[in-house]
Amino acid sequence: MMQEIVTSPFFGIWLSIAAFWIGVKLQKKTGLVLCNPLIIAIALVSAVLLILKIPYESYNEGGAVINMFLAPATACLAVSVYTKAALLKENWLPVGVGALCGSLASMGSVFLLCHLFSLDEAMTVSLMPKSVTTPIAVSISQGHGGMVPITVVAVIFTGILGSILAPGLIRLFRVNDPVIAGISIGACSHAVGTSKALELGETQGAMSGLAIGICGIMTVLFSLVLM
Amino acid sequence: MKIIKQVGILFLICWVSQLVEAVLPFDFPASVIGMLLLLALLFGGVLKVDHIREKSDFLLANMAFFFIPAGVSIINYLDILKSCALQLVLICLVSTVVTFAATAYSMKAVLYLLGKREGRKR
Repeated sequence: MMQEIVTSPFFGIWLSIAAFWIGVKLQKKTGLVLCNPLIIAIALVSAVLLILKIPYESYNEGGAVINMFLAPATACLAVSVYTKAALLKENWLPVGVGALCGSLASMGSVFLLCHLFSLDEAMTVSLMPKSVTTPIAVSISQGHGGMVPITVVAVIFTGILGSILAPGLIRLFRVNDPVIAGISIGACSHAVGTSKALELGETQGAMSGLAIGICGIMTVLFSLVLM
Repeated sequence: MKIIKQVGILFLICWVSQLVEAVLPFDFPASVIGMLLLLALLFGGVLKVDHIREKSDFLLANMAFFFIPAGVSIINYLDILKSCALQLVLICLVSTVVTFAATAYSMKAVLYLLGKREGRKR
């Protein structure tokens, strides 16, 4: 009986929705960035599976259905870039250079740190694309023999770090220009950071969203050459 | 029907980009091909944002939700995660600050140089 319940795709989908709903409620109530709905949902689902000894494969019957939406969701980033075309046209040179330097700095610093800690090749590859949006980072990691779940966790953790640190970093590096603030947030912490950038202002949010797409593409290109 | 049509358009783009990925001689993620394809269709005037607005708003607004299954698969990697948790946290922390600084300062430099050139023109 238990078997039938958990191997239905509806189980995985329903568990994910319930966990995400709790995560969203908790964040609304506490207002803490640390209470990221995605992290809470992942923790809750993982806890349920581990405690009830439900294999990941059963959960993934539904999980795979949710996963399928990642590709169209990534494609839709094009819509957010397109709606900001005017902003991009106005600032294409600084935005392009910023995204280029940010992507290189991210991959380079991860590479150096991994060597410093003498982590193996698979781990290094899993971490190198961690500043870009999950679907792109996952594709890069997968294509180069990385461990996808490690990439996912690193990407989300980086995003949360970025959104927590953003206001402090803006002050620390004296960033007064909302365009620079937005691109910097998007370059280091993708979509999770963008939700914070949106709170700081409309321009910051738009720019951060733009940076997700541009840094994502640049990181893919660099990974073709460097990795 | 409106939403179904929008789903149809987006899934078609994803499908085509998977085919393109299979044909390309190097590793280029299908999701990024889909994004570039959609961008080209929008800029080329073939598609209008209105054609996919509701569906894309839904996907973009709920982006985080779609990552849950990928994140949960971490339970298969708990040992690896435990063995280098501290390093992972440090790497994420340091590289986030470095990336932010590199982006912000390179943009500041470009804007400074641009401002200087415009000043000279006047």
